[in-house]
Amino acid sequence: MTDTNSTAPAIAVEDLWQVFGENAASALRDARGAGDDKAIAQALKDKTLIPAVRAANFEVKSGELFVIMGLSGSGKSTLIRCISRLIEPTAGSVRIDGEDILQASDKRLIDLRRHKLGMVFQHFGLFPHMTVADNVAFPLKMQGAGKAERRTRAMEVLELVGLKGREDTYPRNLSGGQRQRVGIARSLAVNPDIWFLDEPFSALDPLIRRQLQDEFLNIQATLKKSIVFITHDIQEALKLADRIAIMRDGEIVQIGTPEEIVLHPVDDYVAEFSKDVPKGRHACVESILMDGIPDNMPDDPGIKIGMTLDTALTKCMELYEPVPVRDAEGKVIGAVHPHELANALQAEET
Amino acid sequence: MSAVEAVPQGAGRRVSLTRGSQAALFVLAVVLLCRLLGAQFEWLVKWPAALTVPMADWMTWLVGGFLDVFKPIARTFTFLVSYPMEWVGWLLNAVPWPMTVALVTAIGWMIGGLRLAALGFFGLMFVVFTGYWSQGMNTLALVAVSVPLALVMGAAIGILAFEYPRMKGAVNALLDVMQTVPTFAYLVPLLVLFGFGPVVGLIASAIYAAPPMARNVLLGLERVDTEIREAAVMSGGTRRQQLFLVELPAATQQIMIGVNQCLMAALSMVIIAAVIGGFDDIGWEVLQTMRKALFGPAFLAGSVVVVFAIIIDRMSAALAEPRQPQNRTVAYGILAVGAAVTIWAVLAGWPPSGVAAMDGVAKRVDEGVGVFTATYGTTLDSIKNTSMFYGLLPLRIGLAEAVLPFTWGFAWTVKHTAMLYGAALLISLILIFKGRVTAAVMVLIIAYIAEIGVAHLAWPVVILGAGAIGWVSGGWKLARLAVILLSLILISGLWERALLSLYLAGAAVFACAVIGGLLGLWSAMSSTAWMILRPICDFLQTIPLFVFLIPVLMFFQIGEFSAFIAICMYAVVPMIRYTRHGLVSTPDDIIEAATASGAGKWQTMFEVRAPFAAPTILLGLNQTILYAFAMLVIAALIGTTELGQSIFLALGQYDVGLGITAGAAMAILALVADRLVQGFAEERRQALGL
Repeated sequence: MTDTNSTAPAIAVEDLWQVFGENAASALRDARGAGDDKAIAQALKDKTLIPAVRAANFEVKSGELFVIMGLSGSGKSTLIRCISRLIEPTAGSVRIDGEDILQASDKRLIDLRRHKLGMVFQHFGLFPHMTVADNVAFPLKMQGAGKAERRTRAMEVLELVGLKGREDTYPRNLSGGQRQRVGIARSLAVNPDIWFLDEPFSALDPLIRRQLQDEFLNIQATLKKSIVFITHDIQEALKLADRIAIMRDGEIVQIGTPEEIVLHPVDDYVAEFSKDVPKGRHACVESILMDGIPDNMPDDPGIKIGMTLDTALTKCMELYEPVPVRDAEGKVIGAVHPHELANALQAEET
Repeated sequence: MSAVEAVPQGAGRRVSLTRGSQAALFVLAVVLLCRLLGAQFEWLVKWPAALTVPMADWMTWLVGGFLDVFKPIARTFTFLVSYPMEWVGWLLNAVPWPMTVALVTAIGWMIGGLRLAALGFFGLMFVVFTGYWSQGMNTLALVAVSVPLALVMGAAIGILAFEYPRMKGAVNALLDVMQTVPTFAYLVPLLVLFGFGPVVGLIASAIYAAPPMARNVLLGLERVDTEIREAAVMSGGTRRQQLFLVELPAATQQIMIGVNQCLMAALSMVIIAAVIGGFDDIGWEVLQTMRKALFGPAFLAGSVVVVFAIIIDRMSAALAEPRQPQNRTVAYGILAVGAAVTIWAVLAGWPPSGVAAMDGVAKRVDEGVGVFTATYGTTLDSIKNTSMFYGLLPLRIGLAEAVLPFTWGFAWTVKHTAMLYGAALLISLILIFKGRVTAAVMVLIIAYIAEIGVAHLAWPVVILGAGAIGWVSGGWKLARLAVILLSLILISGLWERALLSLYLAGAAVFACAVIGGLLGLWSAMSSTAWMILRPICDFLQTIPLFVFLIPVLMFFQIGEFSAFIAICMYAVVPMIRYTRHGLVSTPDDIIEAATASGAGKWQTMFEVRAPFAAPTILLGLNQTILYAFAMLVIAALIGTTELGQSIFLALGQYDVGLGITAGAAMAILALVADRLVQGFAEERRQALGL
């Protein structure tokens, strides 16, 4: 899924800080001398300030689905609001397609939001006094689009999210899942390049949630937006993400593909998240390739690149010697030891 | 004999002093000082006249000069506003009444279906039959011009405070002042500025009606969901677009509540402003008939005011709620019927200014009241006299003066004083033994108040007492505020009258707290009780202050007792409402926990619901206090001797300085009481973690 051949990052976040409290900016400048990021954060806390986001650094590639995951209070919602500049970060830089939006004027910011950015909210943020169609068309109205044009576009997006026929009802007459479809439709109305989603499915029932996740993936497969997606649900993160950033206490503790997070957690905190995750379903054989390819491999159960550990293991349950891993053309490009396969899967049981 | 020494001796163990008992002991010390040394040093009890500052004169000079500067502008404004007012008045009077009735009925239908259509129809038909149609229309003309003014002003203030959070503190203070300063007080400077005439009433009512609008706009905007706000930002709206296309519409419901309150306040104030006269409106009619003791007409005119109030209130309140669209054809039908009746009425020669079919009723009411008071006169008198002689009078001038042979059957002597303090001391010793120091000290202080009365309280006791309560409820800052503000009244020379205001308001608030608290408890326990009390509360809150005086006057004549009853009738409502609301809105999971622990209905009420309701009930008390002070000024119309009367005097004599000073003194009393109670409410809320 990872799209590696893109060029400049869609979003680049560098040393981003969000500190709450009085005179946060100057306090942060003073605390810079304290040492590394942890020491700075501690110095701020000593002054009863709250460092909600600490030295965040990451890039989102064009067309990438980047998930930020963490427990509530870990600063993920604050972080996405810094990137979309709904709140003013205390320090650092956020570049969207190379443009530092923290330096953008109010006018420029409005312009960006009208054409380039879209956002979906956890509790939908629908305007109660507007019909579904008016809600969806609202960003277009901001742009100054004509009535007919707005209506046409609203109908297009509503069809995309499966709400055709409900355009003239009010949000209060819709179910939770339908409301979030409206939220999604609204954020897509201006066809933005960058798509922010703040826990979009967290307020929904598990069944509806799964349904919307699938539809969301379908939409993304055709639209190819650059996405920042916030969630506290590891399953959701693993299911959707190209890459995941895990946050704790305002700090990004690990960034990696779903596989890396599951198989190589950097610390206990991250490991704790993926404890209950069936790893065999998320990790692929590539993650446990042996160093070099042994000359003599008696068995060839047909392991292919991109195969999950679960599938691979069922194919070599009875085997004890290393087996070859082939690419799509059937060329051997590596080998795995069945023993390693079993080990990797066992890690989850603890 | 001081309780300070009694603590270690009586209890024999260390009792740690709470903040409350420290404050109470401090006040007791002040009381002792004033009581024991008051005879030698008279200045301890009575502020020397030589140190009184002629604040009223200064005000006359200062404000007078200020007013002179702005007079030309104000007079121009008067000139300009009088045009729309005359037009609206002309229009309302020129439209034949069947057409107006049909229009209001049709509007009622569109807003709230059959129910409001019926209300509009029968309400206005009642007005037609009383014969007060043209006076009523004149009143509505004033409301119709002052309300848009108040709405625009209020909305602008609310939006401003929301957009510039730095101004919020200042705006809130301004709104407090606009609402607590008695309306009559600013009538005087307004009279000077704008000249005699209905325009003053219009402006006063706009000033009075703007704050509720401003508060509700601010509240509504603040309550708009953050995500909705952010969604508007992320849609790329400019600040203005966000405000007018998203935030204000999203706050509509709250804003409509503001519109409703604004309308009611404006109507109430227009009626009050009728004391200025010069405009043949319904308020003037009420006042005139009341002054002439013509209770029948006063009652009818008062009913017209109430009918207007109810129609305006219910219709505008319905606007704040989501509603079903109504069939337009029916509305057109109603208008057509109205037009038909109009033509017929014109042919039949009915006067456009109503059909006075109710003169007979007015006469009946007069006669009825006459018969009633003749029959039950002795009962009414004995109610009045008992309350006066054994309740209000001792509270005002103290047992020492109120106990006289011809009322109590004996004369108060030193012996009785000794008995009073002896009994108090005994009770307080028992309380100390039980470890309740604060209560013990309070008993002694109450004995002192009972002996000499509120009106004769030594000034250090009042000022430092308020300071001590402020210290307990909100720390040094509040204590300082209370002491400084009250000292201003002291040196202004209005102290005696202020104490009388304090006494009357205090007595009324106390009565309201007890009666309202019990009624609130009753309606929390029984839904039948609430079904009975709720419409009564609604009714009492809808009718303009002025009208309360009519029934009271009918039965108890002019005097302090009537004023007391009128204040109670008006001020008891919030106490009932808040008590009930506090008691029934305890979180469900907590009630479940209590039930699971085996608590009975009353146990749950007192152990769980009451503590949770405490902050809400305190807020109710706070409202009751503010209501009582608001009514105090109106009640002064029927005979009191406190600040309210000074304000009336000032109005009559065109005395700007006295009006402003007395108004400010009244506002200070209300403001200090308000802050003290709010401090306690806040403390309780935090203790409960709400």
